[in-house]
Amino acid sequence: MIALVRTEFVKAARRTRSLVIVALLIGLPALILFAIHRRAGRADRGGDRGEGLFRLAHQSGLLVPAAVLSVMSGFLLVVIAGTIAGDSIAGDAAWGNLRYVLIRPVSRVKLVLAKGLVAGFLIWAATVLVMVAALVGGVLFFGAHPVTVPNLSAFGGTGALSFGFTLSSSALVLRVLIATAYVAFGYSALLAMGTFFSTLTDTATGAIGATIGVYIISEILNSITELGQVRYAFPTHYLDAWEPMFTGNTYPHDMIVGVVVQLVYLVVFGAAALVWFQRKDIRS
Amino acid sequence: MSDSRDAPVVAVEGLSKHFGNVVAVDDLSFTVARGEVCGLLGPNGAGKTTSLRVLMGLERPSRGSVRLFGEPVRAGSPQLARVGAMVEQAAFVPHLSGLLNLKLWWEADGSRWGRADLDGALAVAGLGDAVHRTVRTYSQGMKQRLGFARLLLGRPELLVLDEPTNGLDPGEIREVRELIGRLTEHGSTVLLSSHHLSEVEQTCTNVVVMNYGRLISQGTVSELIGSSGSVYIEVDDRERARTVLEAIDGVRTVHLQGDGLTVDTTAGRRSDLNAALVRAGLQVETIMPTQRLEDAFLDLLDARNTPGAPIGATS
Ligand SMILES: Nc1ncnc2c1ncn2[C@@H]1O[C@H](COP(=O)(O)OP(=O)(O)O)[C@@H](O)[C@H]1O
Ligand SMILES: [Mg+2]
Repeated sequence: MIALVRTEFVKAARRTRSLVIVALLIGLPALILFAIHRRAGRADRGGDRGEGLFRLAHQSGLLVPAAVLSVMSGFLLVVIAGTIAGDSIAGDAAWGNLRYVLIRPVSRVKLVLAKGLVAGFLIWAATVLVMVAALVGGVLFFGAHPVTVPNLSAFGGTGALSFGFTLSSSALVLRVLIATAYVAFGYSALLAMGTFFSTLTDTATGAIGATIGVYIISEILNSITELGQVRYAFPTHYLDAWEPMFTGNTYPHDMIVGVVVQLVYLVVFGAAALVWFQRKDIRS
Repeated sequence: MSDSRDAPVVAVEGLSKHFGNVVAVDDLSFTVARGEVCGLLGPNGAGKTTSLRVLMGLERPSRGSVRLFGEPVRAGSPQLARVGAMVEQAAFVPHLSGLLNLKLWWEADGSRWGRADLDGALAVAGLGDAVHRTVRTYSQGMKQRLGFARLLLGRPELLVLDEPTNGLDPGEIREVRELIGRLTEHGSTVLLSSHHLSEVEQTCTNVVVMNYGRLISQGTVSELIGSSGSVYIEVDDRERARTVLEAIDGVRTVHLQGDGLTVDTTAGRRSDLNAALVRAGLQVETIMPTQRLEDAFLDLLDARNTPGAPIGATS
């Protein structure tokens, strides 16, 4: 099993696509950092200060990872995670190589688990890379100061700032770590669904498209508040539940619910992938 | 391993495989004994690839069973380690080098790279420095040769080759045929599918003919060729031989040709013709099939489509 994880990791990681992804995951935080920097300059001259995390980020480099994650977790990381997960098995099938992988005495269950583990690892690595790039850049630009957060609900209203709160540097670091882990774990549903779709088809782009498509549809439906409580079961509903750690000085209860929802998807679709792949006729 | 000595290397029994309404393989049975080079012969769509996929644990049979080395085959069965297989065309991870492809494939089940017969495999593939290039840059012929290298890494006791020359140009076809020739010289058991009759005739000792998923004939290559069709005979007295031969059941025509006679038969074996001539006191110098496997094969397929027609070497 360890051997299988290792060989599958090399197959998945050693490709040009990985370089492009790494470039994006470092380049985009740099761009966002630049935007925060400019916005901070304008804010000093009394201009528009933007929304939530974004307008606070210039106070401390330790807050930049949170701002960057809030921007990147909703789309770019979804696309990357969907690509990695959707490609896991269908990629080999599309190359016609899956049958050669499987004529070794290798159990199909172990192959799916190994591919899932590798995809999960790469998704976590991508999320952590975003955080690290943002953290390094942020601290270089803005230093590692504590942050004073005003009462955001009153912000921009009458202009009378009510009492806010202060996050120490160590509290910020801890919360950034938790946020990163939460965001990365938030792709568990996508990982499991992507792996499942990947067992259904021999077309890698089909599996990738389906995975990302489900996320986009979930996001769209989630924004229709009339759907009410049904939305709580959507895989994307709790994706941003970590943000109040920085804007509200709380560890939101929703984060726990979010983790549970992801776990349910992980187990259900992971099991579906295992069962389906075990029975599947391999033609590619 | 009690299994290996007595049991046939390959034993297919009552195998059927359906895809919805399509019957790809229909109650197919055959065996391949140790040391045989067996051709699985049939036109496109006959069910050859499907049978080989089931044999390698890639597809589940709808009915029947498949054994390798006496043990039933399932997905990931341990005895698959003793088989080197190429099912349809060779394929690899395109963005990795040929060599890394071999290494990762070998190591996937925990096997140590040092145990693989890399030198032997690479010598067979004859790719030279190209093994360090990414497979994306390979021609189909090069991929096919790398495919041979891959299946030889484990010093397999059985080779399963599915139309190994399909999609290659004539030069590549010759290379691959020579390569198969070299492999069979080493005494490996081989099961080779083909719709190329000359390929089977050149390389195989035994043949299993199938069409529409069904077994049509199984036997040695010479049995199949000799079972019906045209035979060339040289005897001391051609005219008398002609009279004798024309009296035999199943002989259609007898022509004088060169120094001998050609005999067209609808059924019967060369040994029957020989026996009749010898009984008549004639000296038989030569008796051999003029018919190539190609014709025998087409005859067989025709016979199957014409109910009641005789079939030669059906086992
Ligand atoms: N996955 C499938 N779905 C439906 N029909 C299939 C499938 N695979 C093979 N077949 C059909 O089964 C028959 C045998 O195919 P195959 O085993 O590939 O033949 P061969 O290798 O002898 O050319 C063909 O008629 C083919 O169309
Ligand atoms: Mg075929």
